Amino acid sequence: MARTRSGVALIGVAIACSLSLAAPGEAQEPRLQGRVPEPTRSAINVILDNAHAAGLPTEPLVDRALEGVAKGADPDRILAAVRRLSGELHSAFDALGPRSSAAEIVAGASAIRAGARAEDLAYLRELRADQPLTVATATLADLVAVGVPTDTAVAAVIALAEEADDAQYIAFRRNVERDIALGASPVTALGVRLEAAADFANRSLPQRPRPRKP
Amino acid sequence: MTERDDGLKQAIELLKRPVSLDSSFDERVMKNLESVRRPRTWTRSLWTVADWMSTGRTLTVSPLQGLGLVAGLAALLFVGRMWLMPESAISPERAAAIGETALVQFVIVAPTAESVSLVGDFNDWRASETPLRRVEDNGVWSVSVPLSAGRYRYAFLVDGATWLSDPSAPPALDDEFGRPGSVLTIGEL
Amino acid sequence: MRGSLGMFDMKGQSDGILVRRVLEGDTAAYAGLITRYRDRLARYATRMLGNSADAEDALQDAFVRGYRYLARCTDPERFGAWLFGILVNRCRTLGSQRARRQRLIIDDQAALERASVSHSEGDEALRDAIEHAVAQLQPDQREAFLLKYVEEMSYQEMKQLTGARISALKMRVARARQELRQLLAEVDDD
Repeated sequence: MARTRSGVALIGVAIACSLSLAAPGEAQEPRLQGRVPEPTRSAINVILDNAHAAGLPTEPLVDRALEGVAKGADPDRILAAVRRLSGELHSAFDALGPRSSAAEIVAGASAIRAGARAEDLAYLRELRADQPLTVATATLADLVAVGVPTDTAVAAVIALAEEADDAQYIAFRRNVERDIALGASPVTALGVRLEAAADFANRSLPQRPRPRKP
Repeated sequence: MTERDDGLKQAIELLKRPVSLDSSFDERVMKNLESVRRPRTWTRSLWTVADWMSTGRTLTVSPLQGLGLVAGLAALLFVGRMWLMPESAISPERAAAIGETALVQFVIVAPTAESVSLVGDFNDWRASETPLRRVEDNGVWSVSVPLSAGRYRYAFLVDGATWLSDPSAPPALDDEFGRPGSVLTIGEL
Repeated sequence: MRGSLGMFDMKGQSDGILVRRVLEGDTAAYAGLITRYRDRLARYATRMLGNSADAEDALQDAFVRGYRYLARCTDPERFGAWLFGILVNRCRTLGSQRARRQRLIIDDQAALERASVSHSEGDEALRDAIEHAVAQLQPDQREAFLLKYVEEMSYQEMKQLTGARISALKMRVARARQELRQLLAEVDDD
């Protein structure tokens, strides 16, 4: 049962859906009504309010809830999924800056889900300040999704950041995917495509500085 | 150096003598700079390639690829030009300008299906809102959907019961709710 | 580095000041940096690549990259050292490109004559011989030798510049000295 701030108790889910009064400052997402049961729906609405207040897009959060409903998931699981995404959207927004578009923030959240750090996104923003980061960060997430280890995917996306346009990012990712589908290991596939991408005469530089663990 | 290195010492002294270039060199470089993108001031902390690469990242590489990959990455981080050949094959990815949509075609081969629908972020995950049309008798199904810029999770629902991911698209990072899914990103123009 | 590629106060404007001016949009300030480091870089590039045409290419490249990536120079007061690293890298690239085209390394007489070096008649032949000998060294040995003795770097500085282990660098320097001793002895015998 849901209680509005005015303290009126509402009986039954169906009645609650049709009679619920939105208290000042608490929005009700109409698309959740009739599909997400209480109390989950109210909890999600709180998350939506917070996201909205922080300047984040709320669409993706609603979509995630509806996905859970469509796939027959438990309300608890749906709520957890929405919470998790909300955190990732917050992180992406912090990293990408106040002028980020909704699409950039969503793609950035995927990159964070894939294991990228906030500073990676911030660095990408520096390298590619004059273009949207949507495709670059999406590429990062998509590479991880096909098995490339996170740090390797991050390194690849950053390496391409200054020179590749969006179409080239997509082509790069598709080439890697295809190589994997043909049997290459993800890292090998990525390494091959990365070398192919470089207009660089001498690739056998001896002992370049290697990344080190702290 | 020892005595017998007098020859070497002499050689080094000669090698240390200055070399001058053409006096127009400076001008030529400045002229070149006109077509180079201006360096941007950093508003956040200054990262060099070396800084970034030393922040405790682990590049997971196979032994054989290790050196090549690191060298390749280090090289790329320094390179001024590179080119990638976009595939000529039809790519589902599109870009859309603000307020506009791109038409995206979704295709799946499901020869034994009675019905296939597209379910995802763009139709509020409503199972029957976007049915696919059977294109050929060999089991190809298709639908085209206008999408604005963004990132969309979706899947195919076969006969109202079986969830299938799109083999031509990247998989969703997490299946999140225990079912396969795919992701499509529409870039911004 | 010995301070000669650091705070070199030519026009009363340190590297750091000039770099900051460029980053703020005053591209013309970069000319000051070019003038400041051109000859020093030219010496290394010419010795490393063996002729002035290639050296100029490498230098152009290095300066253009130095400009383009200027924001990534974390210590603007040591711009020169940072730029030198870029140059060493360009010389390697150019060197290997050349090797693949299988060009003979020849003495570039014209370039040597353009070089503003005052010398006696006898010196010239010797200088030619030395430069020819240096040109015959393996690239990594030549690079290490030049960095150590001509640029007077410490092994630590060389390691930072090239990424190579200090033991490897010492080995290259030692081999370069052996080779050069040999080659120069042959010259004396003529």
